[in-house]
Amino acid sequence: MTAAIELENVSKVFGKFPAVDSLSFHVPRGVVFGLLGPNGAGKTTTIRMVMNITAADSGEIRVLGNPMTRETQNRIGYLPEERGLYRKMKVVDHLLFLAAIKEVSREDARRRIAEWAEKLELKPWLKKKVDELSKGMQQKVQFIATVIHDPEILILDEPFSGLDPINTAIIKEYLSDFRKKGKTIVFSTHVLEQAEKLCDEICLLARSKKILEGNLRELKRRFSRNLLHLSVDAPPAEIASLPGVASCQPVNGGYVIALSPGTDQREFLRRALDRHPLQGFSARDPELEEIYLDAVRAAGIEETRTIE
Amino acid sequence: MSWTKIFAVIRREYLERVRTKAFWIATFLVPAFFLGYMAVQFATIRKTSGERRVAVVDTTGHLAQPLARELAEREEARRQKTPGARGIHWIIEPRPVVGDLEKTKEALRREVVDKKLYGYLVLDPALLEKDRAEYYSISVSEFVALEQMERAINTVLLREKIREQGLPASLDKELEKRVDLKTLKVTTKGATEEKGGGIIAAIVFLAIMYMTFFMYGFQNLRGVIEEKTNRIVELVIASVRPTELMLGKIIGIGLVGLTQYLVWSLVAMNLSLPGIASMMAMGEAGAPTIPLSTIGYFLLFFILGYFLYASIYTAIGAPFNTDQEAQQLAMIPSMLIVSGMAVYPAVMNNPNGGVAVFASLFPFTAPLMMFLRTAIAEPPPWQIGLSIVILMLSTMGMAWLAGRIYRVGILMYGKKPTIPEILRWVRYRPGKVLQPASPPAS
Repeated sequence: MTAAIELENVSKVFGKFPAVDSLSFHVPRGVVFGLLGPNGAGKTTTIRMVMNITAADSGEIRVLGNPMTRETQNRIGYLPEERGLYRKMKVVDHLLFLAAIKEVSREDARRRIAEWAEKLELKPWLKKKVDELSKGMQQKVQFIATVIHDPEILILDEPFSGLDPINTAIIKEYLSDFRKKGKTIVFSTHVLEQAEKLCDEICLLARSKKILEGNLRELKRRFSRNLLHLSVDAPPAEIASLPGVASCQPVNGGYVIALSPGTDQREFLRRALDRHPLQGFSARDPELEEIYLDAVRAAGIEETRTIE
Repeated sequence: MSWTKIFAVIRREYLERVRTKAFWIATFLVPAFFLGYMAVQFATIRKTSGERRVAVVDTTGHLAQPLARELAEREEARRQKTPGARGIHWIIEPRPVVGDLEKTKEALRREVVDKKLYGYLVLDPALLEKDRAEYYSISVSEFVALEQMERAINTVLLREKIREQGLPASLDKELEKRVDLKTLKVTTKGATEEKGGGIIAAIVFLAIMYMTFFMYGFQNLRGVIEEKTNRIVELVIASVRPTELMLGKIIGIGLVGLTQYLVWSLVAMNLSLPGIASMMAMGEAGAPTIPLSTIGYFLLFFILGYFLYASIYTAIGAPFNTDQEAQQLAMIPSMLIVSGMAVYPAVMNNPNGGVAVFASLFPFTAPLMMFLRTAIAEPPPWQIGLSIVILMLSTMGMAWLAGRIYRVGILMYGKKPTIPEILRWVRYRPGKVLQPASPPAS
């Protein structure tokens, strides 16, 4: 089966500023794919090019095996970063309009609106104007708008930004439902913590370029840096002075220690036990943030922008 | 082009506007205003009634009595023609000259000031010699009253002259007859009587066109900016092509305008028919017989002109984020529409003159002025054809241009773009690198 989305050497220049620089990646079907990177890395531009909202200057984009057509556009659910609604419209009319421009029949649209309104507890609000809704309610409406045509692929640009914790939880739940149904979800975020919990596959962007792509679990294995978590009550200087310690990060109730290359874990632990009363220890996978920083360093990109 | 999607946009634009209170208030306020205006006019005409006590200083000695009789006769004739109508009731008081004429006039002036008299008339041989009579009154702008007085004096003087010359007295009726100039519009198909109704209809159509270009053209600008400030446009563009969205909006807003005119014409037919009927009875206008060709030309120029101006307003709205930012450039189409009306008197006076020909070929004034010419005169067919071709090409060109600016502009937020920047958007072609991508940063 063809990939859900494929990009080949896609570039986009705004004036003199390259927004996306020969970007290639592919999103297999049925996965949750995270497009990650700091603000200004080119995530939104990439998504807009996939959606055919902005045209790429060069390169090729295929969605469900072909360049984007009207027909495939109707099979994608899109949540832009800049989210808005017609403020004076009634919620139900608004959703009917958004369904109509996806060429969903009026009866189907009505049925689905009723279903979703039930699920998201929006029913009493359907006849109200968008203006009268709370921000959280409007976010629910926007989410329904994204899925009203039962799309095969969901493309969400920073879906959790501005969402309250309750809605974040609700949306996450529905995203995992979608995945269980075999649908593909692509989302962008600059919050790596969220991506870590949700993604199967990731693509890391920095400075308009891809710096890393792949299955998150494999990447974690590949970027494992001989990390240990020690629960110990000792001053940081003493821990750092242990032989074989490359770096030492104090964390709650202990330290995360990176061993210098070639250091044997068991040998190190034995020596540490000799000197300090260790309460516990465990091997630790690298966090996505660490992978990101490593990858940025490896790519030789000077990344001054902070990432959360 | 997907008409399903365009239709969805049209439907939304139309329903959301027609459902607002503002639309219905505007729709009913305008006819209410016109009816009110007509009522005030009617009331002021009717108000020219009541007693007019006028002193007559007749130094000839034999004109005052006939004048009083003449005025009374005319009053009686009016009452018989329209029973129940209130009118002016003249009370003529002949006054002798006391002392000299100036002293008499001074005394009368005081009486007028003291409201004992409405006015006074001086019939003096020295003045009559020069075909003049003097009427002094506190109100000298009462045209209905003044005309009655003037006509009566002329009749009296006419009879006086007939008598002096020893001609038969019955001659006065003959001499008072006036020729009624009947206007007939000459066309290649013959001549048809023009009572003014056709011209009035043309002017009404012209006013509707003018108003539509202004009001509903501008609605397009506001609609585009509203979608941008609401941040909804990106979501819509993910499903609808920019050109489809633009087309849907223009058509939808245009239909709102047509709905308003439909309501107005229904109101006019039901409410103001008595008004029109009374106007026709007063002989001011003939039955408005509107030729089919006028309606046909109206629809053609209305649609082309509306699309032309709607495209301009769309193109002007797209790059900006607020109405205020767009206001400066929005002056351009406004001026163009107004310039069409500025040459209106010239075209009316000489519908086939140089100004008229130019104004009806220049695409921005053509919708209004070529339509006017076809309604009031018969411009050469080649000019009509050329005007339509130029207008069609301009409209298509403008729609294309607007589409290109729209496509880029609707996703542009932040800083107000400059005109050179906007022009670059027009030239911008996707898939072509404007500037080579910079080599990978080290």
